Amino acid sequence: MNKHRSNPLVLYSVDHPGIVAWVMGLSTLLLILLALLPSLWPATFNTLNPLRVDTDPENMLSADESVRVFHNENKQIFTLRDMVVVGVVNPSHPEGVFNPASLKHIHELTEFAKTLTWADPKNPEKQVGVVEVDILAPSVVDNIEQGGMGVVNFSWLMPKPPTTQEEALAVRKKAQRIPLLNGTVVSEDGLAIALYLPLTDKHLSYQVREALLEKIAEWEGSGDEFHITGLPVAEDTFGVEMFYQMAISAPLAMLVIFLLLWWFFKKLSLIVAPMILAMVCSLATMGLLIISGNTIHIMSSMIPIFIMPIAVLDAIHILSDFFDEYQKRKDRRETILYVMQHLYTPMLFTTLTTIAGFASLLMTPIPPVQVFGLFIAIGVFLAWFWTITFIPAFIMFIPEEKLANFGHQTGDAQDSGLMSRLLSATGQVIYRNARLVLVGTGVAMVVGMYGISQININDNPIKWFDTDHPIRIADKVLNEHFGGTYLAYLQLAPGDSTETVAEYAQGMQQRLKIQGSVLAKEGVSNSNGIFGQLSNQVGQAVSAVKNKDALLRVLNDYINEQLNNVSDETFVVWDEAQLFVDSERQRDEIFKQPEVLRYISDLQLYLVSLDVVGKSSSVADVVKTVYRELLMGKDEAFRIPDSANAVAQSLITYQNSHRPHDLWHFITPDYRKGTVLVQLTSGDNQDMAAVEQRVKQYFQDHPAPFALTHRWFGLTYINVIWQEEMVAGMAVALAGSFVVVLVMMTVLFRSFLWGFLAMIPLAVTVWIIYGVIGLIGKDYDMPVAVLSALSLGLSVDYAIHFLSRSRQLLEQYGNWRDTVAHVFAEPARAITRNAIVVGVGFLPLLAAPLVPYQTVGIFIAAILILAGITSLLILPALITLLEPYLFRKKVGG
Amino acid sequence: MRIFRQIATLLLPLFFLLPLMASAVPTVDEIVQRSNMTTYYQGQDGRVQVEMMITDSQGRERQRRLTILRIDEAKSDVVEGQAYQGGQKFYVYFHRPADVSKMAFLVWKHLEQDDDRWLYLPALDLVKRIAATDKRTSFVGSDFFYEDVSGRRLDEDNHELVETTNSYYVIKNTPKDLAGVEFSYYTMFIHKQSYIPVQVEYYDKAGVKYRVAKALGVKTIQGYPTVTKASIDNLKIGSKTVMEYTDVEYDIGLDDALFTERYLRKAPRQQLR
Repeated sequence: MNKHRSNPLVLYSVDHPGIVAWVMGLSTLLLILLALLPSLWPATFNTLNPLRVDTDPENMLSADESVRVFHNENKQIFTLRDMVVVGVVNPSHPEGVFNPASLKHIHELTEFAKTLTWADPKNPEKQVGVVEVDILAPSVVDNIEQGGMGVVNFSWLMPKPPTTQEEALAVRKKAQRIPLLNGTVVSEDGLAIALYLPLTDKHLSYQVREALLEKIAEWEGSGDEFHITGLPVAEDTFGVEMFYQMAISAPLAMLVIFLLLWWFFKKLSLIVAPMILAMVCSLATMGLLIISGNTIHIMSSMIPIFIMPIAVLDAIHILSDFFDEYQKRKDRRETILYVMQHLYTPMLFTTLTTIAGFASLLMTPIPPVQVFGLFIAIGVFLAWFWTITFIPAFIMFIPEEKLANFGHQTGDAQDSGLMSRLLSATGQVIYRNARLVLVGTGVAMVVGMYGISQININDNPIKWFDTDHPIRIADKVLNEHFGGTYLAYLQLAPGDSTETVAEYAQGMQQRLKIQGSVLAKEGVSNSNGIFGQLSNQVGQAVSAVKNKDALLRVLNDYINEQLNNVSDETFVVWDEAQLFVDSERQRDEIFKQPEVLRYISDLQLYLVSLDVVGKSSSVADVVKTVYRELLMGKDEAFRIPDSANAVAQSLITYQNSHRPHDLWHFITPDYRKGTVLVQLTSGDNQDMAAVEQRVKQYFQDHPAPFALTHRWFGLTYINVIWQEEMVAGMAVALAGSFVVVLVMMTVLFRSFLWGFLAMIPLAVTVWIIYGVIGLIGKDYDMPVAVLSALSLGLSVDYAIHFLSRSRQLLEQYGNWRDTVAHVFAEPARAITRNAIVVGVGFLPLLAAPLVPYQTVGIFIAAILILAGITSLLILPALITLLEPYLFRKKVGG
Repeated sequence: MRIFRQIATLLLPLFFLLPLMASAVPTVDEIVQRSNMTTYYQGQDGRVQVEMMITDSQGRERQRRLTILRIDEAKSDVVEGQAYQGGQKFYVYFHRPADVSKMAFLVWKHLEQDDDRWLYLPALDLVKRIAATDKRTSFVGSDFFYEDVSGRRLDEDNHELVETTNSYYVIKNTPKDLAGVEFSYYTMFIHKQSYIPVQVEYYDKAGVKYRVAKALGVKTIQGYPTVTKASIDNLKIGSKTVMEYTDVEYDIGLDDALFTERYLRKAPRQQLR
């Protein structure tokens, strides 16, 4: 190698340090301004993208993902909205909230919630906020009951707060008789009440919650406890906590890195450089993220804390080397050029592998994960660029005399520090016990394999909050009392009909004949003749029409023509004929058919028999309730009536209420689609997935009428889907990044064997870490999944440095035995420092209030530290054993 | 000649006075009584075929066809002294959709007590009495309330003439008892000539307009100004119901006996066609 051939970029930076510093400063400032200005003055800078926060878990799937499209479609067709849920309990009263005082508060709170609407800032004509007509609360839902003397009574459940304890208990008794209310509004244990406040837009939940909290504060000390939860609330809280994370953990990481660097180098003027670098890279990357219109999301909010420790890694290598080399040369320019020259290639490759690791996340189908991977990759590139330009430039700013007593005074790589002594001893031990190290690794791998077999794939966004978080507490309290706060919906729709028009026509002719004779028996004259006439019409029309609807239209037109000019006598028959055609049309209204409702009813019974399902609701519950009350409220009448007409008439009776529109949350007005609302007591993805499996099996075992199809939606289900996609996507990303890194290593070392060698420690690390995850029973969740792929690119860095320096040194010393000691001097120290910096650098994530951040912090620290250890243990052991193969060429040449 | 001129001179001012007298503003009470009579009490009985179209916020439509028969207790249409007012009976019979055909409601509207309401469900072969303490519930799933069909008692509200425009008296009606109703007040735009409330706007307790009733078509039938098409918009839910009234007939001499439980099961087909 030519000593004087430095990289032109490095050389330029060394010669023009001022320009480099200015360019870096100004470009970063520009990015910050471009992001900041539209965020602070959105009106003035409306062509630029302002900072946007995204806490919507749906966005874990891309907007055109079929599950999500289906979810949103169904939310619309069944007018289902995001809700704030207020759970009310009163542990100090033996009847819970069923006492006059508590019910008065609940009544007042409901009235108050109705007023939580505001003029839409975009359209002042429109009101936004709580959707009054869909609120579920005792005072705004209908009760249906016996009114004495065979009278059925439809009225508000609790029109005004009761004044006596008896009345309070009566409210509970009434509500518990109504399946739609029991376990939803009134708890099954009869102690708690939940209010459901649907929102026009979930982003108003913060406003609504604040207003509710203020109102609730009036009743402090009354014994009533109010728990506000619901997905929108969780999301908003999430947004706030995300900023906490960025505001606490990121600066804390800076501080930790600073202290570590101080400990390593004890030279403030020097370690300022990597600190500036870390700052510049994270700010510039976040700036780019905002400028490009991406959002701050649970994933992207971690970008700064990822970039900071990674950004300083290369700088640490440079400083480490500079630290060791400076006293030999006593010339900063010559030293930095020397250091840069022999670090250039490993730095380039470590950067490329890191970029590859993060970029591999682009292979997952989860948009926020893609953004996270992409922007860290960009940040890592920036870090590399400024490392090879700004760090040398910065060193040129330090006056030579200030460096006089910097670094190893002796100029000898041997040092008496604890780390150095430990490392050099390690090197010797490994050289002598190479086989033992590998056996140990093998044992660890076997244990790891068992651990991996125990891995439990599961996630639950509510558990992203700490256990003592108000949302977790609300979640716990509500799920103790109610049928479950995790909602999933099962959409039911008729399957494709295989019946041809001809077959249908034949059936209809049959029915015409029957109806004709039925009418004849009822005394309608000429009914057989006219219905026979219709049957002929059907026979004539059938070949000319495309489908059933067209056939009915033809028939209806014919009847209307007759109706216009018939005598009074035959009018009755023709009217009956028209009625017949209408009833034929209604045969498609399958959610009025008793067999469909019975099927749903049975399915619901099956659902609640499952452990995690607390309750389910459907139109079948409505029909059964109304039917029972029409039949004197007898328990045995709590069933689906026997004809579609009876169902239709029960439903129209139900709709004579204050809230006829409630029905349309369960079925569409054409009675062609329906939903079953399933309340789960657990939001764990594995529980939802199990329910999904069982229901699928149920449909297989119990063929549904009309070949009913079933398909899930609702957020609890969406979570399962994105988890599945994440797990599958991560496997691809992991494999992808492994291959890419392996190829890079092979290119770097110009040898497949060496390339493969470089992959071993990180493969072992990832293997063991995931084994540990399985062993300790930590769920394989979103953060754990994300870490696997990206950690490959990061942890291969040690192997690159170790192997490339080993090769360089071996050239110098001729054989491995003599080289070991030198490898375990400066190179091992740099690796150790790196491992400590990145490892410890991520630990401030533990201070973040959300569990996924803590998980990321602890696992990435564990991976990086373990990768450092395995690199320093396994690589020298392998080289010791494989020396003849690895260095064959060198020996020969 | 002289005498004619004298008469003319005497009568001339009357010609100017006549229109003035006609447009003299009636009292609030007169306006609401007249309007009430026009809307609910014209003739001693009546029959109407109703085409009902309910359209939800997503444009999904449901159709119903029914016949409403009405008979008044008070056999008078005289507004003075409120002679027209009294109990009424309504018979509501369903034709379509097919699965609710032959279903029937019977309502006995009383001025001094809660109404009586019966329901006949042919598929269940069941006549059921329905408690009707609350008349502001949906009329068969539509945006109309029972009260919109049978009328709201005038003495339940305080009436106030807030404006007189070229064509309308604008009356603000505030309920005496806020507890039983979902509105805080409603404003009626009553047509000056016909006394038909052309538009009624309901305001909720936050003062937001949430419900609008409109008369979309008016015809004079048998000398009675009659609404032939009416709609109610529920602005909170976004749904709308339009009722079209055809074959309106008054004073057809309906038998009071038809309006009994007995005729629920055995519908008077002749009267319903």
